[in-house]
Amino acid sequence: MPFDQAFKISSILLAIIAFSGLVFAQSVPFWIAIPTAIILIVTLCDAGGIALVRRAMAQVTVSPTIWNVLLIGAFVIFLIDLTAVSQDLLPAGIHFLVMLLGIKLLTLQQRCDYRHLYAISLMAILASAALTTDAWYLPIFLLYLLGAVWTLLLYHLTQETTEASAVITPTSMAAGHATFLGRITQRFFWLTNGIAVMTVGLTLAIFFVIPRIGAGVLQKTHGEALRTTGFSDRVDLGTIGSVKQDPQIVMRVELPDQPTVAKDRLHLRGLAYDQYNGRSWSHSGTRRRSLSLVAEGVFLARPAGSRLPDSLSVPIRQDILLETLDTPVLFAAPFAELVSGDFLAVQIDGMSGLHLPLSPSSRARYSVTSQVPQLVAGDQAAMVLAYPDSIRSRYLQVPVESQQVADLAHRVVQQVSTPFRQTLAIQQHLLDNYRYSLEADTATLNHPLDEFLFVRKTGYCEHYATAMVMMLRTIGIPARLVTGFLATEWNEFGGYFTVRQRDAHAWVEVYFPQSGWITMDPTPSVSAAAGTSRWESIRRFGESFRLQWDRLFVRYSGKDQLAVVHEVREGSDALRERVSSWISALSAPIGHVLTRLARMSRIVQPGVLECITGVVVVGLALLLLMLRDRIGLWASMHLSIAPSQHAIVQLYARMLRTLEKKGLSKLPAVTAAEFARQVERKWGAAGPVVADVTALYHQGRFSRVPLLPKELSRAAEQVGRLQSLLRATH
Amino acid sequence: MSSVHTIRAIQDNIELVIKGKTHVIEMAVVCLLARGHLLLEDVPGVGKTTLAHSLARSLDCSFKRIQFTSDLLPSDIVGVSMFNRQKQGFEFIPGPIFANVVLADEINRTTPKTQSSLLEAMSEAQISVDNQTHPLEQPFMVIATQNPAEYHGTFPLPESQLDRFLMRLSIGYPSLEEERKVLDRPHSLHPAEALEAVLTAHEVLALQARVDRVHMEESLTDYLLAIVQATRQSELLSLGVSTRGALALSKAAKALAVVRGRDYCLPDDIKELAPIVLSHRVMLNRTHGMRTQSFEQAERMVLDIVETVSVPV
Repeated sequence: MPFDQAFKISSILLAIIAFSGLVFAQSVPFWIAIPTAIILIVTLCDAGGIALVRRAMAQVTVSPTIWNVLLIGAFVIFLIDLTAVSQDLLPAGIHFLVMLLGIKLLTLQQRCDYRHLYAISLMAILASAALTTDAWYLPIFLLYLLGAVWTLLLYHLTQETTEASAVITPTSMAAGHATFLGRITQRFFWLTNGIAVMTVGLTLAIFFVIPRIGAGVLQKTHGEALRTTGFSDRVDLGTIGSVKQDPQIVMRVELPDQPTVAKDRLHLRGLAYDQYNGRSWSHSGTRRRSLSLVAEGVFLARPAGSRLPDSLSVPIRQDILLETLDTPVLFAAPFAELVSGDFLAVQIDGMSGLHLPLSPSSRARYSVTSQVPQLVAGDQAAMVLAYPDSIRSRYLQVPVESQQVADLAHRVVQQVSTPFRQTLAIQQHLLDNYRYSLEADTATLNHPLDEFLFVRKTGYCEHYATAMVMMLRTIGIPARLVTGFLATEWNEFGGYFTVRQRDAHAWVEVYFPQSGWITMDPTPSVSAAAGTSRWESIRRFGESFRLQWDRLFVRYSGKDQLAVVHEVREGSDALRERVSSWISALSAPIGHVLTRLARMSRIVQPGVLECITGVVVVGLALLLLMLRDRIGLWASMHLSIAPSQHAIVQLYARMLRTLEKKGLSKLPAVTAAEFARQVERKWGAAGPVVADVTALYHQGRFSRVPLLPKELSRAAEQVGRLQSLLRATH
Repeated sequence: MSSVHTIRAIQDNIELVIKGKTHVIEMAVVCLLARGHLLLEDVPGVGKTTLAHSLARSLDCSFKRIQFTSDLLPSDIVGVSMFNRQKQGFEFIPGPIFANVVLADEINRTTPKTQSSLLEAMSEAQISVDNQTHPLEQPFMVIATQNPAEYHGTFPLPESQLDRFLMRLSIGYPSLEEERKVLDRPHSLHPAEALEAVLTAHEVLALQARVDRVHMEESLTDYLLAIVQATRQSELLSLGVSTRGALALSKAAKALAVVRGRDYCLPDDIKELAPIVLSHRVMLNRTHGMRTQSFEQAERMVLDIVETVSVPV
């Protein structure tokens, strides 16, 4: 493909990528998006050389006045949008930006139009960064970088080509030159993509290295919190059923210290309830106390010094990413020992439920180390268990009208001797004789439990759990109802449980004097075993990718950075020294700038990601601009599109351009040496420089021996010197 | 001694005799290195003969001078077969052409028949007499002089013969300052006779071989051909440059590159040489009011044409 065409196509593709970024961010209403998309497709077809479109486009010529009128129209729309429709600068600005994009695409003629297009694309991609924290931004951004690298390179190369050909004025030697004024060769293709990959690498490096200004200014500030049920002071029987179909993700739970097996189910405990009035559950002791802070962000859930009754308990560490919920409850496997997270305070209620002081306004990430109590042998075998009074008074309460339930319970356990076996018998009874169904809507019934146990015999977790608690209590075994989530969906790609709304669950905790509260679940397992089909695993892979995106980019904070630095420091002594010296060398000035920036950011509230993205993209663009000569030099030296002489010819052409600005232009029939003498006469200061470049040009252009890289860079230096000479004279 | 220094040495040597004509001397050396023949055309008394003489003197080669007159016969130049009684057979007595440097003085004073006897010698570097071919010694260079001012009793050289000269040079009057230096010199001795040879025949051959190795980049060949094309298409000329002319320009350009110490050609070489290498090979268009073809006119025409051809970048 010739450079010219490739350049046009890549420019338009860049615009398309930026535009799709905005569309994905759902910030472009359809009345702008559809025309713009049509314009994009048409211009792309035009640039792609589709004859039909090309002919049609060639026939449409519109005078500049109309474009100006259109521009003014777009601005008027923007003003109306700003004042009446969106009434906000960001959406109105984006609408205006998209309109500008459309207008600019239709008027792509000169090179400055293309530069405007790039500016608009850059703003669009920055705007979409400001609007989203979702993972789809990553591919868009990577595509944008790739497109940007291609476009900048092609822009540069086509510029060189047009300028060089203007100097050559090909007559009879046109055929000889047309060959090196480029096409996209395979080598060029891979090299450009290589540069793009390097750019991405550089961006990532900068992203991870540049100190954070603050964490998560934009973390999901818009969008509603997920509505949950079952985690308030009172739970009506049958409410959980309403969310059992909802696949929304509530949290993701990683088990970092566990072996990767046995990831079938994990109970994530929310709140426990001890009082049942026949229709709903509630707490009796709602008094909460704050957990003691043992380190910054680390809370000790167990009163200091106390020990669990037995050492049989198994510690489980969970790293939990909790979506924004409308409840301040923190979920964890029973029973939390240590909670660490970016919280000011964590509270615990009388039944080991963890609470935040307020519902979190954004996603929360926290780790919990839990000790899962195991039933000790003594409790298992004991014929009679002696319960403390505090337990007896609280966890044996039954509503008055439950005689029928008590009869059932006694019937079930009459053959069974020990309390533990009785518990198991009741659980088994419920598992065997009742059918799981989400259709049992009992919320409106007066006696939902009786209905479940004796009439419908179908229900779901709340019914099962409530039934078990009630039956246990009627035979004198303390028990309570627990709500939370039952994690069953193991994501093998990311190594974590995905927990959804529909995993909301209720189960039972049974008290044993030596072991403590033991989790029992009378609900038959209904998890339709997350599919193993390929589609399912792709979906799970995408899920885990989103988690990584969130972890690595959206929520990548100064703390994570420090953690990385710590790891690096621990890794190697040499590296540690270097890193620490860098940090100490950089931290003072950067910190100074950053505190100032942070102060500013508090006023205008820019996000972290888009700040950094913006800085990186702009910086790269500037870098490319500054390294134009070097890149051109490098490209012409290394790309197969040009013979080795091309580099010096380009430099010479650049020198001619520079001299033209001084009013010294070379006529086509004037040879380089003659021109050098002319320059010497008219602009003595530049004489030696021009003579040197001319000599190098002669040698590089016409001799058999190509110039050494050293000589080429000397020529480049000389041209640079000439440019600064020119600047000095202005 | 490097080639640059060797060449510099000849030029310096000749400049001892001919003052202030650096460019002409350089071109004469170019002609020598390009294995070409030189036509010096100028009014009498500006140093044509002296130039030829001192060039010959600077080389450690044989040098013969032939004064062309109207009664000069071809055999006076190439030699003659004579019957040798002792050997009882014809014996070839070589003429003055059998030398490394031959000065054909006032070449237009002799008849075309005699002039054309030089043709074979100049183009093939050999002489055929009585079905016998006698190769000429290398290096071989003819330096011819002619006087454009006189027309009486002259026979202008035919185009075919002009084409065989690599370049036509005019020396021109020296500047006042230079002329004064000439006058200040002692006249007793012909200065060219005092010169010492600085270059052997072998060294000249080596330099000529070096010229063949000079690199002419593709675009320069195109440039050269573009110039040649332009002379053929120009309205100012009725006869353009032949292929031999193009070849001559290419050779001369390469030789100039060697003289200037390069092993590759530049556009400047071609551009600089075009007038002196091409101007005697073209014919001016008479409809443009130019009755007679003068040296300067032709050179100016070629120069004008060269200025219309773009230089490769």
